[in-house]
Amino acid sequence: MTESVDTRVDLGGIALRNPVLTASGTFGYGTEFAPFMDLAALGGFVAKSLTLEPRSGNPPPRIAETPSGMLNAISIENIGVEAFLNERLPELPGDVVVIASCFGTDPGNYAELAERLSESPRVAGIEINASCPHVKSGGIEFGQDPRLLGELVERVRGVTSKPLLVKLSPNVTRIDDMARVCEASGADGICLINAVQAMEVDVESRRPVLSNVLGGLSGPAIRPIALRMVWQAAQAVSIPICGVGGIFTPEDAVKFMLCGATAVQVGTANYLNPAVGREVAEGIAAYAARHGFPRVADLTGALRLPGAP
Amino acid sequence: MTNSNPPAPSRPLRVAAEVLENAVEGPGNHRLVLAIPGWPGAEPGQFVMLSPGGSSEAERTDPLLPRPMAVYRGHAAARGGRAEVEFLLKVTGRGTRLLADLAPGQSIRLVGPLGSAFAPVVPGKRAILVGGGTGIASLYELASRGAADAEVHVILGARSEGDLMGVDDFEALEVDCHITTEDGSRGRKGRVTDALAELLEAPGPPAELFACGPTPMMHACAKIAQEQRLECQVSLENNMACGFGVCLGCAVPVHSGGYSLVCRAGPVYPADQVVWEGLP
Repeated sequence: MTESVDTRVDLGGIALRNPVLTASGTFGYGTEFAPFMDLAALGGFVAKSLTLEPRSGNPPPRIAETPSGMLNAISIENIGVEAFLNERLPELPGDVVVIASCFGTDPGNYAELAERLSESPRVAGIEINASCPHVKSGGIEFGQDPRLLGELVERVRGVTSKPLLVKLSPNVTRIDDMARVCEASGADGICLINAVQAMEVDVESRRPVLSNVLGGLSGPAIRPIALRMVWQAAQAVSIPICGVGGIFTPEDAVKFMLCGATAVQVGTANYLNPAVGREVAEGIAAYAARHGFPRVADLTGALRLPGAP
Repeated sequence: MTNSNPPAPSRPLRVAAEVLENAVEGPGNHRLVLAIPGWPGAEPGQFVMLSPGGSSEAERTDPLLPRPMAVYRGHAAARGGRAEVEFLLKVTGRGTRLLADLAPGQSIRLVGPLGSAFAPVVPGKRAILVGGGTGIASLYELASRGAADAEVHVILGARSEGDLMGVDDFEALEVDCHITTEDGSRGRKGRVTDALAELLEAPGPPAELFACGPTPMMHACAKIAQEQRLECQVSLENNMACGFGVCLGCAVPVHSGGYSLVCRAGPVYPADQVVWEGLP
C-alpha cells in the first residue's frame, strides 16, 4: 500500500524523493550518520552552516536540557566553505541531496559564500541562515528586520541560480511580513522556524546555564509555535515552505504539511535517534496511504478548518 | 584535534536493548545489565548513549536527551545473537532516576559504542589506574585486559563507602587494588592522589597513569604526571546531546587550539592536551 504512494515533492526547484530533510546544525556534514542509515533514504539534508573561513564556537557550557527541549549556543562552529567543498562533499554518495547553509555578518560575505557553493554540482540548493539566535553579529539581525532581510536575499539571489531557501527566525512579531519579503526578493522557498531565543538559570550557583547566557530553544517544546508560524506564513506567500521545529514523529511532520508545508526538516530528534529522518519519511508515506492520498504532496495545505467538510 | 589513541574499531549501533538486571549496589548505585543485539564489543573507555525517554511503554520527551554512560564490561555478541553488557550508574538527576527504575524485561534505546579508547597498557611499565566515583566504571576493562601484559595497580576512591562502585569486581582481578574514601568509611582515609603519590615513591618500573573521575581529581593526576614526566591518559565527562559529533555541545578547550569534542576525539585524551582551567 505504502509502495503505491508517490512520495516526491518539489521544494522550490529542489526535487526531493520524499519531503524529509534534516536540519542544519543537527546533521553535521552528513557522513556522521552513515553508520545509522542510508543517507539516500532522506529527501536530503541541510549541512551545518558554513562561513567563508573556519570558525570556532563558544566556550562551554554550550548546551542544556530543558522541559521537552534543549538550549544550545554553539555559535556556527564550522570547517569553512573550502574544507566542506573539497573534503566533506566528495565523501557523500552521489544520490544524496545536499543543501548548503550560508552564514555571514554582512550581505557581501553571504553572497561570496553562495557564489562559491554554487560552483559545485553536488550542491542542490542554498539555504540562507538568517536566524541563528546566539551569534553576536550577523544571522538573526537579518531575520528580524524586513528591510535588511530583503537586501540580503536580493544580494544572494543575484549571484546564484541554485534554488534559494531562507531559514527564518521565530523571534519576530510578524512572520508573515518576513515571509512576504523573502518571496518578493527572489527566494524560491522559506524554512521555518529556527530555534527560539531563550535562557535558563541554575539557582544554586545563580548563574546562567550557558556561557553565552542566551541560547536557542529547540525540540518538542517549540513545535506548536513552529506550527502556528508555518500556518501564518502559508497564508501569506505562494512559494513553498519547509516546516521545522520539534518534529520527532511522522505525525508531527504531517501536521506541518497539513498547515501548508511542502517539506519538513527534522532537527533535534537526530541527536536522540540518528535514524529518525528515515523513520519519519516512511511514516509520512504510510499516513498518506492510510488516508487515501495518492501523493504525499497532496497533504500540503489539506487542513480541514472549522466549518469545512 | 586528533589524539594519539588508536581509533575505535567498531561502527556504532542504534538498537533497542533488553534490561536483564538492575541491581541496587549501595545508595543510588545501580548495576544495569543489558542484552544488546549485535553488540560489536567496546574498547576500554568507550561509552554509549542511553535514552531514558525510550525506557518505558509510553515514550516521553521529558527528560529529552540520552545520557552518556561508560561501558563497564561485556564482550561482543556472537553473530546474530545478543551480548550481556554491564553499566554502573549513580542516580544524580531525573534521567539517571529513570534508568535506575528500569525493570528486567523492559527495553531501552541505545547508541554505541562511541568515543575514543584508552591506549593499551605498555608491557614492562607499571600501569596505575585511578578511578573516582562513577569514573571507576571506565577502568574495569582496561584493568582486566592490562593484567596479562603489565604490572597493574588500581586506586579507587570516593567520598564515602556508599559512593564506591564495582570494588569487589576489581579485587577479584589479578591486580594490586587500593581503596580510599575521604571519610575513611572504607579503605584508607584520604584522596586517591595520596595513594598515588605513595605508589609512585615505591621502587619499580616506570609508571604510566590512567585516570577517570571528577575533573579536580583528573586535573590533580595530570599535574602529578607532568611533574614526574609520566604519560597520563584521562577520560573526560561532559554533557552531550548526541554522542557522535554533531550537536557540538561537549566541546572542551585543548592546547592545540580551539575546542575538541569529548564524544568523538575523546572521551580519552592525553592529560597534557586538556586546558584544565577552561573546563566547565
